[in-house]
Amino acid sequence: MKPAPFEYHRPRTVEEGTALLAKYGDEAKVLAGGQSLVPLMNMRLARPANLIDINRIESLAYIRDDGRALRIGALTRQRAAERAPLVAERCPLLRDALRLVGHAPIRNRGTIGGSIAHADPAAELTAILVALDGEVTARGPKGTRVIAARDLFVSYLRTSLDPRELLTEVRIPALPAGAGWSWMEIARRHGDFALAGVGVVLAVRGRTIAEARIGLTGVGPTPVRAAEAERLLVGRSPSEDLWNAAAAAVRAAVTPDGDIHASAEYRTHVAGVLTQRALREAWERAREAA
Amino acid sequence: MKIEGTNTLPASVETVWKAINDPEALRSCTPGLKELKAVGPDSYQATLQIGIAAVKGTYAGTLAITEKQAPTHYKITLEGTGGAGFMKGEGIVDLEPQGSGTLLKWTGDIQVGGLIAGVGQRMLGGVGKMLIGQFFKCLEDRLGGNA
Repeated sequence: MKPAPFEYHRPRTVEEGTALLAKYGDEAKVLAGGQSLVPLMNMRLARPANLIDINRIESLAYIRDDGRALRIGALTRQRAAERAPLVAERCPLLRDALRLVGHAPIRNRGTIGGSIAHADPAAELTAILVALDGEVTARGPKGTRVIAARDLFVSYLRTSLDPRELLTEVRIPALPAGAGWSWMEIARRHGDFALAGVGVVLAVRGRTIAEARIGLTGVGPTPVRAAEAERLLVGRSPSEDLWNAAAAAVRAAVTPDGDIHASAEYRTHVAGVLTQRALREAWERAREAA
Repeated sequence: MKIEGTNTLPASVETVWKAINDPEALRSCTPGLKELKAVGPDSYQATLQIGIAAVKGTYAGTLAITEKQAPTHYKITLEGTGGAGFMKGEGIVDLEPQGSGTLLKWTGDIQVGGLIAGVGQRMLGGVGKMLIGQFFKCLEDRLGGNA
């Protein structure tokens, strides 16, 4: 369990980091928290010739509120975001989902940017970014660009980031005032990757749903935004029939794969069940807030 | 792990049959194929580099076509071993005329073992499907060019 030989680089600034990436491109991997990359390297499934350790770039660890979105530095530890009062206040959906990312020791090292850039098809953060129309910032040889969540995730472990670009910031829009939210997932054991997971946000006006967001993980090559289910919900009053209809729309929108952990049929079914539960919980929370 | 799918190709059954038996088409359309050497009729030695993102493995093995019923049916068998583990795949291909084109139906059974299966189990089925999809898309482009 030792990695294949590699060249180790430890930039101290974003500029040094991007210069190294510009030089080595797809011959290099960025090491952030290392909770996915290091096991893959130790098993020699990944053999990058160059490892660019960004852990000394302290300017990449921060959480700020720009009034519209939480701006989270790519190197922010998942545990730090989970415990940040600002996250609890502005996007409790993110806090709740973070609690289910691996285990506490994993979150102490694992970073927000690393999880997004790794793009595991069952990661919680990718679904939240997609559900809330989040964005990421990337710095590369051609300068800085902002990538919308819907343009970021390409396939299993693949994003539209260029190998020479460094993901520097993740922007997660704050929930509307008084909105209800819920994160639900099912895993074989606590801390395992979810067989299926869903994040829901409901903004409410009186007895009516003014805005709905639904994002799912673990049910396809990329996180899934359930746009059709969202459309069904907006302008309607909550009822079990409505939750059922939304769940059916979610099942129609997902294309999970089966494996030894769960069949495709099971994952599809569970995606609907979790959506119903999450809608109920989000609605309750929105009512309590009103 | 069983996977299956269908593709509609813009060419006659005979043309599609020729393409899926053509070593040149197999060579240019098999994702990650580094080398394909004929060792007998319908039997090849192959080197494949398959992976997603940073996770890549090189596999050396064999590819064979059997159970031929020209021009509508064959079985393709692929076996390979490499540092990341082993893989073994079997696919049945059936062709049916559909309008002026051809409906290609495939069912496959893939076994993957060793390190890669332990780590990548969750994604193997999906990635397998994606690679097979790439293969047929490439075939479709080749046939479309001839039509």
